[in-house]
Amino acid sequence: MSGLRDQLKRQIEGAVRDAGAVPVERTTNFGHLFRSAPRLLVEPRTAEDVRATVQFARAKGLTLSTRGAGHSQSHLGISDGGVLLAMGSLGRVLEVDDRALTADVEAGALWGDVVARLKPLGLAPPVLTNNLNVTVGGTLSVAGIGVASFRYGTQGDQVVSLDVVTGDGEAVTCGPDRNEDLFWSVVAGLGQVGVITRARLKLRRVKPLTRTYYLLYDDARRFLEDARFAMDSGRFDHIESWASPSPQGTKPVGGRRQVFARWFFPFHLTVEFDPGAPPDDAALLDGLRPYENLYTDDLPTAEFFSRLEPVFDLWKRGGTWEHVHAWMEAVMPWETAPDLLDAILPDLPPSILVGGHILLWPAKGSASRSRLFMRPPGENLVGFGILPAIPPKYWPEARPMLDTASRLSIAMGGKRYLSGYVEFTEEEWREHFGPMWEPFRASKRRFDPDVILNPGFVPLDERRPAASPAA
Amino acid sequence: MTHVPDPIPFGTPAWAAALREGLNGSSEYRNAAAKWGVGWNGNLLLAFEADGALAAPLHLFLELAAGRCTRAEFVGGSGRDRAEAGFTLRAPFSLWRDILERRVLAATAILTGKMKVEGDRLALLRHAGANRALIHVTGSVPTRFPS
Repeated sequence: MSGLRDQLKRQIEGAVRDAGAVPVERTTNFGHLFRSAPRLLVEPRTAEDVRATVQFARAKGLTLSTRGAGHSQSHLGISDGGVLLAMGSLGRVLEVDDRALTADVEAGALWGDVVARLKPLGLAPPVLTNNLNVTVGGTLSVAGIGVASFRYGTQGDQVVSLDVVTGDGEAVTCGPDRNEDLFWSVVAGLGQVGVITRARLKLRRVKPLTRTYYLLYDDARRFLEDARFAMDSGRFDHIESWASPSPQGTKPVGGRRQVFARWFFPFHLTVEFDPGAPPDDAALLDGLRPYENLYTDDLPTAEFFSRLEPVFDLWKRGGTWEHVHAWMEAVMPWETAPDLLDAILPDLPPSILVGGHILLWPAKGSASRSRLFMRPPGENLVGFGILPAIPPKYWPEARPMLDTASRLSIAMGGKRYLSGYVEFTEEEWREHFGPMWEPFRASKRRFDPDVILNPGFVPLDERRPAASPAA
Repeated sequence: MTHVPDPIPFGTPAWAAALREGLNGSSEYRNAAAKWGVGWNGNLLLAFEADGALAAPLHLFLELAAGRCTRAEFVGGSGRDRAEAGFTLRAPFSLWRDILERRVLAATAILTGKMKVEGDRLALLRHAGANRALIHVTGSVPTRFPS
């Protein structure tokens, strides 16, 4: 038995495992790009367990990495020889206050469990991610974006308070109006200053049914004009869009023949409604100019929230869930978003999207107050994401294309969304955070003075252990 | 038996002529650059800066519009040449050679600042496919580089 494991086990209620007993799936994450084994895997049962573990790691000179559902893709959610704190064991939905419209949840709770608990009450968090099998603490640490973000900002904007264990082992409650420096360093803070143990989430009342209009556009600029119109109209509760390839044949790209596509732009507009009071379709769609109005779908609202589960199931059954996920997501200025589409889509092989897709999400800059969710200036923004599933042997071939897409997005004024595949130089990290770089570093020094938390990704300090590529 | 064309010395009129012929014979370039230089100045000046492998700088002027190349010529690289070009792409010769021999992506060189761009960088980036095809054809000219 390991001495370290015994020492920690005596201090906490949760499970502690040695390196040899760490399940292999916890040595990598959804990206399948890196593989590294922790020295200790800890599954806390209480917030006090988290505090004791942070203090233990600090005293022993070990780094401590946090893992929710492991949906990150870069060097997050894994540990290279330190302590890996797997928060899924701290995943209960606690109290729901129907009058104050809040829910207290442990950080390892899945959003899907939160939705299920709130469904009978006709309540929901204002912003939900497309994939509900991710944790509250995990998405708050990167911002958390969904199809209602154009209206409500990020999930981090919809938090009343957080219980956090800082890197120096203190348990602190913070919020937008209480210990706000800590709060805004934790929200979208990549786990750099503290470990979230509990969140008090804002809720909203939802109507029981949704109606979704599946519109299709054949022109990116017209689609974007209508997306802006739809956002500004205030008619819709949820807005989602993709870029979808229709393969046409093969053509040479850089001398190699590959399949090329005509790109279309599906645009899904959703409203919530009460039974017996269906929406006025003609009024809602008035002024929009799709290439085709394909389909109109009614769903119970809770089912709408999990609408992509069948897609994820398909990817899992197809085996692509285990492929390399090097998602390149960026928030673009409205003005240059069409240029980015012009630059990337014509030569993007549709095959890269087997088990993945391309997301577009119209957004409003002022909807978020998050300091560390970096986005371009301006009110109208467009999220763009290439979300491929790449067989590991083809990763070296695909990587330059994704790197170029990332650099193109930045050159055109965009900011990368950090849950995906990000490999920045230190200079690129500085550029990404811009005026927030030094305040972020100052928060790191203040709340994690021994720089133990979540090393290996954003280089706020000089300790940055090398990671072992998995693919 | 496949005929392997003799390499043409880089920097010569014959090399420039072969490039023009290659561009005009490439369906990849014709399609990818169909909108390049239409209604705006798409002429390029490629500036090969002298370094260990190139004794004196070279400047290649390419008159390009709508997927066609109507002039390819090594020029002096004067202010007038630059004024005639919508864009000047400037890099050390060794980097150009890495690009033409497919060891480095031109887009990466531009986006990382290793290749300098004079002109509307955004327009250049927007037409990524046209520029990739241009580089591919340029790299396909059988070339004898200076050693």
